[in-house]
Amino acid sequence: MRGKKLAVLLLLGFGLLKLPMERAVSARLNQAELLSPFASLELRENLDQTAFAAVLGGLRSLVASVTYMRAYIAFEDGFWAEVDRLYALTTRLQPRNVAYWDEAAWQMAFNAASHYLHDKGTREYTRGALYQQYIDRGIEILREGLRYNPDSPRLWGALGDIYARRKREPLPAAEAYLKAEADGGPAYYQRLAAYQLLQAPDRESWVKAYELLRATYDAGKKFPSVIDGLHELERRLKIPPDQRIPEKASEKKAPSVGPMAP
Amino acid sequence: MSEAAAVEVENLTKVFRLGVMRSAFVAVRDLSLRVQPGEVYGLIGPNGSGKSTTMKVILGLLEPDQGTSRIFGSSSLRVESRREVGFLPENPYFYKHLTGRETLHFYGRLCGLRGSELREREQEMLALTRLEDAAERRVAGYSKGMLQRLGLAQALIHQPRLVVLDEPTAGVDPEGSRMIRDLILSFKERGLTVLVTSHLLEQMQEVCDRVGIMARGRMVKEGPLEELIAVENQTEMVLENATPELLAEVRVAVARHAGASIVRSGHPRTTLERLFLENTVENTAAASSEPHEE
Amino acid sequence: MKNKAPAPQPARGGHLSRILTLAGATVTQLLRMRILVFLLVVCVLMVAFGFGFPVSSPEQKLKLLKDATFGTLQIFSLVLAVAATALLLPRDVEDRTLYTILSKPVPRVDYLLGKYLGVIFLIGAGLIILDVVLSGLVYFQQQALLQGTEAMLRSEGAPEDEILQQLAQVQRVGLTWSMHAATWAIFLKAAVVTALALLISSFASSTLFTMVSTFLVCVLGQGQELIREYLFHGSFSVTMEKVVALLLAIALPDLRLFDIVDNVIAGQSVTWGAMASITGAALLYVVGYLVVAQVVFSEKEL
Repeated sequence: MRGKKLAVLLLLGFGLLKLPMERAVSARLNQAELLSPFASLELRENLDQTAFAAVLGGLRSLVASVTYMRAYIAFEDGFWAEVDRLYALTTRLQPRNVAYWDEAAWQMAFNAASHYLHDKGTREYTRGALYQQYIDRGIEILREGLRYNPDSPRLWGALGDIYARRKREPLPAAEAYLKAEADGGPAYYQRLAAYQLLQAPDRESWVKAYELLRATYDAGKKFPSVIDGLHELERRLKIPPDQRIPEKASEKKAPSVGPMAP
Repeated sequence: MSEAAAVEVENLTKVFRLGVMRSAFVAVRDLSLRVQPGEVYGLIGPNGSGKSTTMKVILGLLEPDQGTSRIFGSSSLRVESRREVGFLPENPYFYKHLTGRETLHFYGRLCGLRGSELREREQEMLALTRLEDAAERRVAGYSKGMLQRLGLAQALIHQPRLVVLDEPTAGVDPEGSRMIRDLILSFKERGLTVLVTSHLLEQMQEVCDRVGIMARGRMVKEGPLEELIAVENQTEMVLENATPELLAEVRVAVARHAGASIVRSGHPRTTLERLFLENTVENTAAASSEPHEE
Repeated sequence: MKNKAPAPQPARGGHLSRILTLAGATVTQLLRMRILVFLLVVCVLMVAFGFGFPVSSPEQKLKLLKDATFGTLQIFSLVLAVAATALLLPRDVEDRTLYTILSKPVPRVDYLLGKYLGVIFLIGAGLIILDVVLSGLVYFQQQALLQGTEAMLRSEGAPEDEILQQLAQVQRVGLTWSMHAATWAIFLKAAVVTALALLISSFASSTLFTMVSTFLVCVLGQGQELIREYLFHGSFSVTMEKVVALLLAIALPDLRLFDIVDNVIAGQSVTWGAMASITGAALLYVVGYLVVAQVVFSEKEL
C-alpha cells in the first residue's frame, strides 16, 4: 500500500513538473508551424469536429486525404452541397494545407457556380443567384484559409483569380495578386495585377499598372501581352513619345499566351 | 556450507485485502518453519490452507505482513536470496514461442550463466529431464508432463542448493509422476534441500524427511515423517514363504502374552501405481516389485 | 546422476545483461507471433491505397502516398506499443511465467526494463525498415511527378524560372530529411505510449483492461491541449469538471506534441531545436512513467 501512495504522489509531482514543459514545447512547435492548429477552436463552432481532429492525432493528414477523395467523388457526381461539406471537413483537419483551401474555393467559385449557371433544370432567376452565391462561398473559403496561412501566395493568387475572372472586380483582384507576388509568389502575379489595374476605371490604377508593366518590360520580359498593355497605357496616360517603348519592338520570342492562369 | 537453515520462516502472517471494500483475508497466520540443509521437507494441507502463499513469501514473490523469511540466512526480500533457489510452480507455463532449449537458455542467462558453461548446463538438464528429443520443439506443443519436466530443468539450471516444488506431480501421468519422484530422491542423494508441496500424500511419504501439515493458514503439525506416522504401539512384520504351521505357531506365541494381539493378517498388495507401471512401461527396471503392506 | 556436489553460486550477471536477456526474449516472442507478417500486409494495403486512387494534382498524389505511408507507420507503432505491452506483461502474470522469472535472481526493475526495451526495440526496428521502404516509394513517385510536371510545363512553353519554381514546389512536398524527423517523432510517441501501457499493466490484472485503458488514455492524451485550454482560459471558478480536467492534465502526457507528421507531409521542415524539444519531452515522459510503474510493480502481489 505504501508503494501505491508513493506512486500517486510521484505521478502528481511529475505531472505538475511536466505541465510548464508541455506548454513551452507546444508553443515552440506551434510557432514553428509543426503542429496543426485546431481549426474550429477559435470559432468554438463545433466541438465535435475539434474533438474528432484531436483524437485522430497524427492521422489527421490521412483522414483529410480520405475526406478529400470523397469530396472529389462528390464533385464528379455533381453533389455540390456535399462537396462543400467534405472540403470544409478536410480544411478543418488540415488548416495549414493551402492546397485544400485553394481547391475547395475553386470547386465552389468555378465548378459549382458554372454548374448552376448552366443548369437547365433551375429557373433563370435562381440560376443567377446560385451562381453568385457559390462564387461568394469560394471567396469566403479563401478568406478563412488566409486566416491560417496569411502569407500564402497561392491563396492570395487564387483569391485574385476569383475576383478577376468570376466577380470581374479588378481592384480587389489586383490587390490580391500583388499580395501574392509580395509574399514570394511567382513573378507573373505582378503582370496579372497590372492587367487587372488596366481594366480599372481610375487613372491612379493605370499609373500603377504602367509602372508594373514597364518594370516587367525593362526586366527583359517582352511578352506580346506586356507590350500591348504598355501601348494601351501609354496612350491613356499620354506618355511622351521619347519615353514610350518602340512601336514595333524587336520582341523576344515569347509565348503568345503567357501563363495567365497558374 | 554455512550453518544457516536452508529455509527459515518465523512468525509469518500474510493478509490479503480483497475487492473494493478491501475486506481482509488472513492466508497465513503466525507460521514458523525451518528446513535444514539437505533435507526434503513436505508442506501438506488442503486447498486454501496457505501452502502456496507461504512458498511465495519464501521466494520473495509476496511480502509478509508480519514475521520474516530467510533462505540460507538471507532475507527473502533480497534478490540475492534467490541465487541459490530453483522454483517449480504448480502447472508452469513458459513462453510458448520458445523451444525447450531456448527456454533453458533464457532462464540460464537470467541466472548469470554464459557461453559454453550455459550450453553444457542446458544439455545436462535436458538429459536429466529426458527432454533431449523435444529440445528443439516449441513449448506450445509440450504435454503437461513435459512442461513439468521443463519446469524442473529450469529450476535446476543454475545448480541451486534449494529446490522449491509446488505440486510437482499435479496433472502428470503416473510414469512422469514417478520420474519426478525419482528426481526428488536423487536430489536428496546429492545433498540438495527440497521444499515440496503435494496432494499425493503417498508420494510425499516416499520422499520426505520432514513434513508440516497446514490448515486454515496455521501449521497444525510438524516433525520428522517417521515419527509423525509411526503407530507407536503396533509392529509390522512381512513374512515370505511362511507355511500355515509357522503362522499357527506365531498366533500361539502372541496369545501367550497378555495384552498383545494380532490386529490383522493377509497377503500384502502392490499399489495401483506399480501395477499400472508394470503393465504400461516396457522398461520397468526402475519399478521394483517390493510389495507394500496395506 | 552425473552431477557433482552442488556448489554455492557466485554472484554473476549484471543488470544490463539480464535486461537484454529479457528484451531479447520479448523480441523473439513478438516476432514469432507473426508481427512482421501483419506489418507486411498492412504495408502493402496502405501503399496500394496510396498509389491506387486517381487524384487531381501531382502534389495531392504525393501527399496521398505520404499520408498512407505515414499512416501505416503510426498505426503500426501505436498498435504494437499498446498491444505488445498489454499482451506481454499481464499474460506473464496470468500464465504465472512471472513466477519462474522473478524467483530467479532478477530484480523487478530489470524485468520491467527488459520488457520495455524489447517492445521499443521492435517498434524502432520496424519503423526503420518501414521508413527506408516508404522513402524509396516516395522518391520513386516524386521523380516520376517531377519529370511529368517539367515535361508539361516545357510543352506549354513556360519560362525557366517559373518551371524551377513549380518543380521546387513538388520537391518541397516530396522526400525530405524532415520526413525522417517525423518518423523519429512517431517513434518517440510510441515510446511514451509503451511506458504508459507498462504503467497501466503494472497494476492491471488483465490484458483486456490494459488495452482498453491504454487506448482511452491515448485518446485523452491527444486532447491534452484542449484540456489545458479549458483549464487555463476559462473562468477561474472551481467546478468538478475543472478538478477532473486538472487531474487529467497532470497525469496524462500531451501526445499531440509528437504529431508533427501532418505538417511535415505538407512540406514543413523540422529544425534541430524542435527535434531536441520533442526528444526531451519524450524522455521526461518515459522516465516519469517508468519510475511510477516500477514503484507500483515493486510491491505488486503475485
